[in-house]
Amino acid sequence: MALKKARRMRLDAGLNITSMMDMMTIILVFLLKSYGTQDISVAPSEDLQLPVSTTQAPPQIAVNLIVTKSRIIVDGVHVLTLIKEEDKQHPGQERLAVPKDEKRGQAILPLLEVLEVKADSAKNDGERLAASGTDQHAFKGRLLIQCDKKLPFSVLREVMYTAGQAQFSEFKFVVYKQE
Amino acid sequence: MAVSRRIQDTPELNLIPIMNLVTILIPFLIMAAQFVQLAVIDSTLPAIGPPQAPEETPDKPPLKLSLAITGNGITILGADAVLYPAGAPPLAEGEARSPTIPCGGGRCRRATDYNWMDLTRELSKIKDMYPDEQNVILVPDGDIEYEVLVRTMDASRDDKLTGGSRDLFPFVVIAGGAIQ
Repeated sequence: MALKKARRMRLDAGLNITSMMDMMTIILVFLLKSYGTQDISVAPSEDLQLPVSTTQAPPQIAVNLIVTKSRIIVDGVHVLTLIKEEDKQHPGQERLAVPKDEKRGQAILPLLEVLEVKADSAKNDGERLAASGTDQHAFKGRLLIQCDKKLPFSVLREVMYTAGQAQFSEFKFVVYKQE
Repeated sequence: MAVSRRIQDTPELNLIPIMNLVTILIPFLIMAAQFVQLAVIDSTLPAIGPPQAPEETPDKPPLKLSLAITGNGITILGADAVLYPAGAPPLAEGEARSPTIPCGGGRCRRATDYNWMDLTRELSKIKDMYPDEQNVILVPDGDIEYEVLVRTMDASRDDKLTGGSRDLFPFVVIAGGAIQ
């Protein structure tokens, strides 16, 4: 009797993990498929929704400029807060704009200051690396721009103009790739 | 009887070390997983500098293809001689030229209101006339949303309507637009 009980206990104790292994294998294959190493990262939020595009060009490392619905960020550092002003063309509606006291003509002054510092340091790094024999890090004026899809062109135009003043002329607009 | 005992005696494969390995691998792979793919659209600023004299007189007038994007639609601009080989259609006095690709309801509020298929079709016709041309200049209005700009670049990059993927005007320059 006691022997029978012991045998039943031994049989019950073994956990069958085969089905769990199946599940784990499927998850593993799925995760390996979605594994990727990209040079840039995007933190989507309510204020930053990138548009979708059919372009296939891969992103490259460059100075990262983010224009959300509320502010401008360069390489993770807050530069300027955008305001909402009345739209002159469509009375009663508001649209995003750069505060007038932060601008000189079309140039956004705080952004110009930050981008000039970035351009100078990139040029110095490029020269130092060029002296050691590697020419591929030379300053090319490349700027990654992440914009919210609802951003009006008037703000983007001022951002692009300011970037041009700071010797950034090659723009790479970051978008979600259409599957 | 003998067969059933042999089956019972076959040792079960010990899967626990593999389970351990997989359990450690999964968090690492979740961290490195990318559920959205990113891409970039190249664009350059218009070059500012002294005008350069053309080296030789070209056989054809330069195209200088531009797309003016407004709330009423998209107007394809170029040298008149290129876009209207038989001369531009006459306008009544005081009448404004309507956009080449007008919006469905008269005014476009969202990116989906524009007729992108028609734009690609029209640009495809221009590409047939000018197969060597690669550049397009975008001239958007100040209140045009960034998404509309991206969709215009998509529509003018390649021609997917004919089944294949022919390059249309892949090099985009964004002009300042009209200053208000």
